[in-house]
Amino acid sequence: MGKKEAPTEPKKQSEVAKAAKGFFYGMALHGMVTYALRLRMHMENLFMLITMGDMLGIPVLPPYYSLRLLPYAVPSLKTWKQTLLRDRDITDSLY
Amino acid sequence: MSVAVKAGMAEYFASNPDVKYILFGGKGGLGKTTLSAATAYWLASREKRVCVFSTDPQASLSDIFERKVFGQGEVELAANLYAVEIDADRRIAEYQEEIRKKIKDMYKMETIPEEVEDYINSSAAEPAMAESATFDAMVELMTAGKFDYYVFDMMPHGHAIRFLGMADILDQWVEKIVSVRKKAGEYGEAATVMGSKGSLAQEDLVLKELEYIRGRLDFVSTMVRDRKHTAFFYVLIPELMPILDTRKALEMFREFNVTVSGVVVNQVYPKELKDQPDVPVFLKNKISSQQEYVKQIQSEFGSLIKGIVPMLDREPKGMKMISNVADILYGS
Repeated sequence: MGKKEAPTEPKKQSEVAKAAKGFFYGMALHGMVTYALRLRMHMENLFMLITMGDMLGIPVLPPYYSLRLLPYAVPSLKTWKQTLLRDRDITDSLY
Repeated sequence: MSVAVKAGMAEYFASNPDVKYILFGGKGGLGKTTLSAATAYWLASREKRVCVFSTDPQASLSDIFERKVFGQGEVELAANLYAVEIDADRRIAEYQEEIRKKIKDMYKMETIPEEVEDYINSSAAEPAMAESATFDAMVELMTAGKFDYYVFDMMPHGHAIRFLGMADILDQWVEKIVSVRKKAGEYGEAATVMGSKGSLAQEDLVLKELEYIRGRLDFVSTMVRDRKHTAFFYVLIPELMPILDTRKALEMFREFNVTVSGVVVNQVYPKELKDQPDVPVFLKNKISSQQEYVKQIQSEFGSLIKGIVPMLDREPKGMKMISNVADILYGS
């Protein structure tokens, strides 16, 4: 048994390292990363609102210029509209 | 004229030799187009290359010059004198097509998604769209720099002002987006684990577009505020509403740090008419009422008054009449 284990030792070690990395990442970084991404998402939503706001009847940027940015917004249009138009309630965050 | 103009239009140009952009604003129907045309005519007669551009959707340069200018690009009317009248609808249609093509190319699409198509179509219906398109054309013309002078017949009431506010807002946004992008970089490695790579390249393109838009808006807001290179004249007639409008406009411009170089009083009935025999009461009353308002204008705007143009006995149309107006405004 002991003889067989020896060759796989480095692999196991790297797996341990990976697990440890994951563990520490989870402990230290995961919250931060999620927070950063969440912040980014909010910023992106705001950005969309500023540039594409007239889609929802909130004109900010002159439409001539928001059209210039439209091509880049195409992939996120649907989710953005859903996010913004979704009904929200304080109880949503409690349950 | 009983009202003295301390320093007229000609003196203004003599003491402001660096002026390059000349804007005429004011309510609709007061003669902005006529005065723009006369100014362009006068400058061109002094052997400067001049382009007169109408940003008014109800533009009438074609009517005034009795030549088809609308949608024709830069039309040469006389030596050194060019006119531009934008066909905003056509410009918008071409622009929309450009956007459609870009979306199709970017995402290898055959057809544009319905909601995107809807948005593209509905944006054209907005009145602001035509104004922005015209403004964009205006910036394009100025940045091309082919002329010594650019005379702008502005649309009624300062849409330009909206652009001033816009440029500031956009400035803040570009800054915010840059800082968010930096923050994303700080969490770079971790963010890659989360699989949010790939959008950065596109973000750079978005940033580029934003910079472009900001450049366009900044150009307008800098130009309008630049006292050295830009002259801004406000046109009014001796009636209550235009006086009130001018007062409001001057206040608003001050808020945005825009200096009005002068006001021009247009369509003033010659006062002498009143003393002639057989003048109908109707006309007499009209002249008296105008004289009252002229006094009010004098006391309210004083040294800002750069010119007083009488009501002419016929419509100012055609080169001959424009040259007459130029003579009145600038002195022959």
